[in-house]
Amino acid sequence: MSTRSGQAQRPNGSTQGKICQFKLVLLGESAVGKSSLVLRFVKGQFHEYQESTIGAAFLTQTICLDDTTVKFEIWDTAGQERYHSLAPMYYRGAQAAIVVYDITNQDTFGRAKTWVKELQRQASPTIVIALAGNKQDLANKRMVEFEEAQTYAEENGLLFMETSAKTAMNVNDIFQAIAKKLPKNEQTAGQGSSGQGRRLAENDTGAKAAGNCCK
Amino acid sequence: MNEEDLLKRSAEEREKIFKRYEQGREGAEIDPWEDPGFEVYHATDRYGFIHDKRLPSKVDPQEAKKRQIEVERQKKWLKMLKNWDAPASKEKLHSRVYKGIPNSLRSDAWIKLLHVETVKKNNTGRYEEMIKLARQYSTDARQIDSDVNRQFREHLHYRERYSIKQQSLFNVLTAYAMYNSEVGYCQGMSGLAGVLLMYMDEEDAFWAMHILLTDPKYAMHGLYKEGFPKLTRFLAHHDKILTKLLPKIKKHFDKHGLDAILYSLKWFFVCFIERVPFNLCLRIWDIYLYEGEEVISAMAYTILKLHKRNLLKLNDMDAIVQYIQVKLYKDFIYDEDTVIRHLEGSIEELKKHKLIKAGEPGREELPTRPFGEFKEPTFEQIVGIRTETFTEKEKVTNEIITLTSDAARESVEKDKECQLSVVDSVGFTGSKFSFDPSIDDASSLLDCEHTGSRRSLADTSVTSTADLSVFSTITRSQAHENSLDTHSNMSDNSVGGASSVGSGIGASSVQRATLSAHSTPRATPHNVSPDVLRIYVPYTPLDTPVASPHNGDLPKSIPCSFPDSNKIRIKIDNDELPTPLVEHGQIKTFRIDDFDLK
Repeated sequence: MSTRSGQAQRPNGSTQGKICQFKLVLLGESAVGKSSLVLRFVKGQFHEYQESTIGAAFLTQTICLDDTTVKFEIWDTAGQERYHSLAPMYYRGAQAAIVVYDITNQDTFGRAKTWVKELQRQASPTIVIALAGNKQDLANKRMVEFEEAQTYAEENGLLFMETSAKTAMNVNDIFQAIAKKLPKNEQTAGQGSSGQGRRLAENDTGAKAAGNCCK
Repeated sequence: MNEEDLLKRSAEEREKIFKRYEQGREGAEIDPWEDPGFEVYHATDRYGFIHDKRLPSKVDPQEAKKRQIEVERQKKWLKMLKNWDAPASKEKLHSRVYKGIPNSLRSDAWIKLLHVETVKKNNTGRYEEMIKLARQYSTDARQIDSDVNRQFREHLHYRERYSIKQQSLFNVLTAYAMYNSEVGYCQGMSGLAGVLLMYMDEEDAFWAMHILLTDPKYAMHGLYKEGFPKLTRFLAHHDKILTKLLPKIKKHFDKHGLDAILYSLKWFFVCFIERVPFNLCLRIWDIYLYEGEEVISAMAYTILKLHKRNLLKLNDMDAIVQYIQVKLYKDFIYDEDTVIRHLEGSIEELKKHKLIKAGEPGREELPTRPFGEFKEPTFEQIVGIRTETFTEKEKVTNEIITLTSDAARESVEKDKECQLSVVDSVGFTGSKFSFDPSIDDASSLLDCEHTGSRRSLADTSVTSTADLSVFSTITRSQAHENSLDTHSNMSDNSVGGASSVGSGIGASSVQRATLSAHSTPRATPHNVSPDVLRIYVPYTPLDTPVASPHNGDLPKSIPCSFPDSNKIRIKIDNDELPTPLVEHGQIKTFRIDDFDLK
């Protein structure tokens, strides 16, 4: 029997502070480094030739934030346009999203904006969106200015950081920032009255809903 | 940027990418991160993959024996390849393919199995033509370039940036995207072409790929084209197989919110590349090329069947996914011969249950445009402008997948409600009943949705149980056919029946205290721990063989000593915390190991 995340699941187990669980989805153009960001965050690793994600991948990582344990359920999606039709099932019910672009490629920034628009239109209205300008280690080949992205992020109420999955720069930070911004008190197990709680109950398994945010 | 500039930029980009591949390594500007210096020959396996660790200097005795056998087989295969169309060859082909094609002859055998020569002969000069067209008009160069850069980079031939094999891979993919413009390039195809190119030259690989996409035997066209129409059909079929033959796994996955699309997409798209160890993958490919698409469904079933016990022990989605996608790639536990034996068994088993075919392909899966006909790309295609809306086809796919996912969730919720009702009617909360986890053959479960005979058994005896609905969960495919509303009848049925069983248990005066002081289950049904009351009823165990012959090798512990059929047997899981009992106002620990109810 697996003991992973068991402490977060047991509805009547002892609580060690608050335990929150959030669904987070990564979106962005192909080869901007979505999977690499996740791999860095979850396993602390980096592969130069990260295999292309076909369909989607799923990983979890837990971080501590003051007295709260935040467990991210991370959905890493395929970037190619062909796989766009699968994306809604991954961002549906997500409480957070990281939209990734490659700072050395202006087109990927344009694509990121399209993703943000789509999320604003289709995803949960309370979704926390972060914009990540990845491959910061290749800043000498920069095509997207920091200020340009920052202005865009501010205008659209997004968290923004430039990251590097390769050097690990800002990788944990961006997840931390998202965790901070996510509401952690509005729902208690079983109430299911808030929009987010309901969403989880709808889209997540019952077992997870039970171990859902904040007891 | 205005339109003209955008077009100019796209043309320049295409030009630059093609030039680099044409030039190859000679004088290429290669970023250091693209091209690691390597000292590899000591760590390269017989298939060309480079490992982090030095390989053992001596082959282990078992492996040595296998290779000896392979040498023997080579002789037979050489003879057979020379007389491919002779009746004697055809007769032996089946068993020889299942035993594994000797690696040194794989390229000849695959070319024969796919009839590459015939197709190539009928299309002389076409490949060259497509390469030229791609050179001028390809709109997929950027995506293909980024995927070539990360496909099989641990393989000797693909390791160096712009190496000959990388050039071939790029050529085949860009040329094919021109030839089959309806599919163009879809991620996943680089894996397919990558493997083919390990065993064939460029042009053969090109035609082999075309055959895999368009020959009805493989029909991968429908997988890769917009909206993935074949994928949804195969996923539904996969669900049907699980519901019928691995219901516990199905329920386990549903409970943890794991949709098949997450773990099986790559199985279907690239025939198990990077999901099982490469040597096993090649063996599956041998059979796939020989038998066709059914092998994929059968192998998907085989994987879950072989690893059922381990999978059932994993209690969150993360762990299950990691096991299926990462662990099995690194170490499949079973050796190839064993797996292939089971695969062969699975194929027979699926045939027996009439589950070998995933049904007929819909029209939307088949190619509609003529191959190799040049059509000038649109401005959007050239510049790579992404659509913000979904096409009709994409909407359909999306809807099917979402509904499938919802149906699974709903059935899980329904189950819980059912179970809770039973628990309530008995006055139990906090107990955990379960039947022997080793039982997961459909034949040993009440599966009233699918087998009429079992349904009548359930109806006529006192054996309607809380779990009827669990195991009769409408298959997801059926669920969306029936507009997701089919659960209700079932659950009514089972709840009604269950209370009669419940009272029986109640009569044995087992009393339990709630563990959780939060609330009554009825008030908040979704938040109570998923307590389960399941009752196992053997289905005429004396005359029905429980395990199919192909299950024979799997460890099983099916109870076989029931004096009468249709006896209710309750087993209580002990791997959870023992459930406390309240006695004289004090909580006592209570345990039942094996509890027979006559």
